[in-house]
Amino acid sequence: MVNLRDKGAALWEGWNRPKRVAFVIILIGLVGLLPYGGDFSFTSFLNTPISSYQAVLVYPVGMYVLMALGLNIVVGKSGLLDLGYVAFFAIGGYTAGILGTRTHLNTWEILPIGMGTAMIAGVLLGLPTLRLRGDYLAIVTLGFGEIVRIVALNTQSIGASTGIPSIPTPPKTFGIKFDIVHNTSYFWVVLILILLVIWMIRRFTVRRPGRAWEAIRQDEDVAILMGVPILRYKVWSFSIGAAVGGAAGVIFASKTQYVAPNMFTFNVSVLILSCVVFGGMGNMWGVILGGVLLAYLPERIRFISNARQLVFGIALVLIMNLRPDGLLPRKKREKLGAAKKAGE
Amino acid sequence: MSEKILELNNVTMQFGGVKALDSVNFHVNKGEICALIGPNGAGKTTIFNVITGVYKPTSGEINFNGKSLIGLKRNKITARGVARTFQNVRLFGDMTALENVMTATDVHKKSGLVGALFGTPRARREEKAGRARAHELLEFMGIDHRSDQLGRNLPYGDQRRLEIARALGTEPEIVLLDEPAAGFNPAEKVALANTIKKIRDAGYTVLLIEHDMSLIMGISDRVSVLDFGRKIADDIPSVVQNDPKVIEAYLGAPADAS
Ligand SMILES: Nc1ncnc2c1ncn2[C@@H]1O[C@H](COP(=O)(O)OP(=O)(O)OP(=O)(O)O)[C@@H](O)[C@H]1O
Ligand SMILES: [Mg+2]
Repeated sequence: MVNLRDKGAALWEGWNRPKRVAFVIILIGLVGLLPYGGDFSFTSFLNTPISSYQAVLVYPVGMYVLMALGLNIVVGKSGLLDLGYVAFFAIGGYTAGILGTRTHLNTWEILPIGMGTAMIAGVLLGLPTLRLRGDYLAIVTLGFGEIVRIVALNTQSIGASTGIPSIPTPPKTFGIKFDIVHNTSYFWVVLILILLVIWMIRRFTVRRPGRAWEAIRQDEDVAILMGVPILRYKVWSFSIGAAVGGAAGVIFASKTQYVAPNMFTFNVSVLILSCVVFGGMGNMWGVILGGVLLAYLPERIRFISNARQLVFGIALVLIMNLRPDGLLPRKKREKLGAAKKAGE
Repeated sequence: MSEKILELNNVTMQFGGVKALDSVNFHVNKGEICALIGPNGAGKTTIFNVITGVYKPTSGEINFNGKSLIGLKRNKITARGVARTFQNVRLFGDMTALENVMTATDVHKKSGLVGALFGTPRARREEKAGRARAHELLEFMGIDHRSDQLGRNLPYGDQRRLEIARALGTEPEIVLLDEPAAGFNPAEKVALANTIKKIRDAGYTVLLIEHDMSLIMGISDRVSVLDFGRKIADDIPSVVQNDPKVIEAYLGAPADAS
């Protein structure tokens, strides 16, 4: 099967800087215009039949991509199986709910607080549990995801099973309105967050943290013997992933204007993890593609109604059989000419 | 009398009923090539494992530059100046040769995530220095032309050389080499022996586990012999070579031989 990832990377490496910059700007521009895609006849195929196309772009598409990128730092880059990622999404959502309804802070002020809270939760959970390996970590994180939901469900002061209603939308910013009919505004916010996360991951990946995570993922016993402070880097990975989940939660809450425990079930963790695995664990572009497809396609094929889940499930199983490492797998190739340089 | 850089006092390592090390007293002098030999299962690799903190010895002391290593985290032991290779090559297969070594050169770097994120001057400087040092070490091991190749795509011999380069990347005072010549042909062994001497001459202390006697005898300043977890000899190569206890350990007890 063609290796799309390598083809893309080879093309990219062949370009000079101005060409790359132009490409990135055009790409971001096109993605930014996506919400208008449903308005023109030649792109109207994008329209989702039942839900509003623009709403779908924000949730699930944008949110899934954002969270999948965050989870990919943990699972894909560092090899830590986190089955309770929804916990951080929930913490972000509830932070927005509590602060939004009880203080005068607006969404933009709450955003860093939500991220910080999720991050602290990540550190608190990570410090004791990241010493555990593989399966144990998966079970503990799974439990954590459930605990957060169940605590919310049983705490009267945050609405128990009814949750928190009437969460304020973000204020009008730079002349851009945020409310139920302005999905496009939210889409842009999510897009900006996604771009920031991409920028962050790229920075980390090529420098020390990326090497440390990669070493930990491949062989943590050797990594520590080569001097990598593995616990510290695992906790960082975990809490950075958590912060991204928290950010998604804050934006989600201000968009739906309502949070409740049943929005934060184990299902969400599984779905986000599926985006990561399906797209290509460890490869940012694969994960983005995975998020887009897994979030968008079920909405797009909604017209087949009940058979939708079944068709989608079969498609997933088939694709994972054909491409076990995901659609765009992680780096398996060397830089162009590496072998030639080595005289082979 | 030369200065002891590494010292094991009465170190015992027990795995269930097996005493892999039995009250071993052992030391390495600064700046020497010390060889550790012994039949299969004698406990050689176990000595590396207790020194580097993989196992905590059941009893005994391990001192490095006069300070105890026991109870220290493995990465701290490395940061103190102890580096090692593995009997079965354990590279980071999905990383390039250069990245493998750079992971090790990161040990003494100060900048972390914030530096990486914002590209602070210090982070840039350290990144550049680490890269330069990694190339230098690959060059030293004669494999710099492979710097962009993935660890797992390297030919076997170069994988072993890369492991040494990676160990040196941590800027150790002592390097522990676990059978670095395993699987090498005679010409490669000679080349490796020269490299090990070069490593010693560059100022590192070398502790070497090896089965090939001619290699050992050619380059070691001192040889220690382990048998069934006990040290049975410790002297200059020519003496050890003719020690009846050593010959017996290698050839089996006379009763068995008859
Ligand atoms: N983790 C462990 N658990 C149980 N037994 C162990 C463990 N590690 C080593 N041993 C035992 O300790 C003894 C010494 O093993 P060690 O690997 O140190 O031998 P060695 O001298 O390196 O041998 P070789 O030349 O085959 O590499 C062996 O009997 C081995 O089975
Ligand atoms: Mg051994």
